[in-house]
Amino acid sequence: MNNSLIIGQYVPGNSLVHKLDPRTKITIIFFYVITVFFANSLASYSVLVVFALACMFTSRVPLRFIMKGLTPVWFLIIFTFILHLFVTKEGTVIFDFWIFEFYSGGVIQGFAISIRFFLLILVTSLLTLTTTPIEITDAIEDMLRPLNKVRFPVHELALMMSISLRFIPTLMQETDKISRAQASRGVDFRTGPIKDRIKAVVPLLVPLFVSAFKRAEELAMAMEARGYQGGEGRTKLRELKIELRDIMVYLLFACVIALLFLTRNYS
Amino acid sequence: MRRLRAIDLTYGAVFVCLMAIGANITVWFPILAVPIGGTSVPLSLQTFFAILAGFMLGKRLGSLSMLTYLLLGTAGVPIFAGLEGGPFALISPTGGFIISFIFVAYFVGLIAEWYKSPSILIYTVAAIIGLLINYGLGVSYMYIAMNTWLELTISYSIAWIGMIPFLIKDAILSIVAATFMVNITKRLPLLWQRA
Repeated sequence: MNNSLIIGQYVPGNSLVHKLDPRTKITIIFFYVITVFFANSLASYSVLVVFALACMFTSRVPLRFIMKGLTPVWFLIIFTFILHLFVTKEGTVIFDFWIFEFYSGGVIQGFAISIRFFLLILVTSLLTLTTTPIEITDAIEDMLRPLNKVRFPVHELALMMSISLRFIPTLMQETDKISRAQASRGVDFRTGPIKDRIKAVVPLLVPLFVSAFKRAEELAMAMEARGYQGGEGRTKLRELKIELRDIMVYLLFACVIALLFLTRNYS
Repeated sequence: MRRLRAIDLTYGAVFVCLMAIGANITVWFPILAVPIGGTSVPLSLQTFFAILAGFMLGKRLGSLSMLTYLLLGTAGVPIFAGLEGGPFALISPTGGFIISFIFVAYFVGLIAEWYKSPSILIYTVAAIIGLLINYGLGVSYMYIAMNTWLELTISYSIAWIGMIPFLIKDAILSIVAATFMVNITKRLPLLWQRA
């Protein structure tokens, strides 16, 4: 678990999708998620499915990682599908069972929404599968830079993301230790009425706070000792650069969107 | 508006970690899943920590810290409830709760900063207002998500009824947060008060 906390869901690789600038990936996925809601015909859905599958195969991320991203939402997909099957009463009756009648409209709509879901999950998880949280942080810092004009602390936000990334595994280990320590002292986390269980939160929180705030104070001291003065004039270890392949991917994606709006049903 | 100091950034980051732990507290303490009304409600401390972030960090840093939590989770780090992460968490029906934490911390911080040295009553009122923002935004988002992009027609009242067990548990925890704060302020200077 600790490993997944540092690298997120990232699966190392050397494919085109891995090498793309993170800003390119975020921009494309953002617009893809919006355009998914514009698809309403079989042809327009196929365009989106082909694009998503093409991305998946060029990324060369093993299928099991992609399936892992889908597991928490299978239930939601199946649930929506079945609900539409029962609720939507459009089109002709295609199937009759006991007191239920299934309409063609319900099947089509159920399918369309399941596909939409599937596409959303597939494409958004491709971002996190091929990009490290650090890369995404860099991209967010760069993309939000215009907000500096309205005095929004973009650099500070990105730095806070990096610091959290470093602290999350440590503090989670700490929580683990605290739970063992309190259990060995005989704190019963297992049974008892609700009031006692909520009370049991206190011997957890107090040591967790002490340790968390101590770390925050120490790191702040260390940063100041090394002369941290905010974002101005700070140089970067990792520089982002838009390359030819990014431009090509943008052009390709523009074609996909154009194709989608051509094949859309306007009636 | 003064610039954020190093200490602001580290405290903001620590609250992101606390949110991550609070969302998944049942991983370490499985029995914190409390039975209310027949169903088992996993006790999450997210609302509790969001309210504390408002109290301790103030409106500006508190909301910035909650925004960091949202962005980091969206970037794929498994820090949302159920150790999940990734952009899909925001599209799913419960995404509104994650977004609402930003506003919870902001408004709670606003109230706490308004009264220079708040009493337990002020803290409780602020915590309850934070809770209402949390559920008001979260449930409305759920309703909109269900009825628009999931195309599941449910009524607004049904969306609320499903959330009642969670609301009860968070209401209790919010009041705990308020009493907790009175103890913390005695021992630790609040970040927005530090010179």
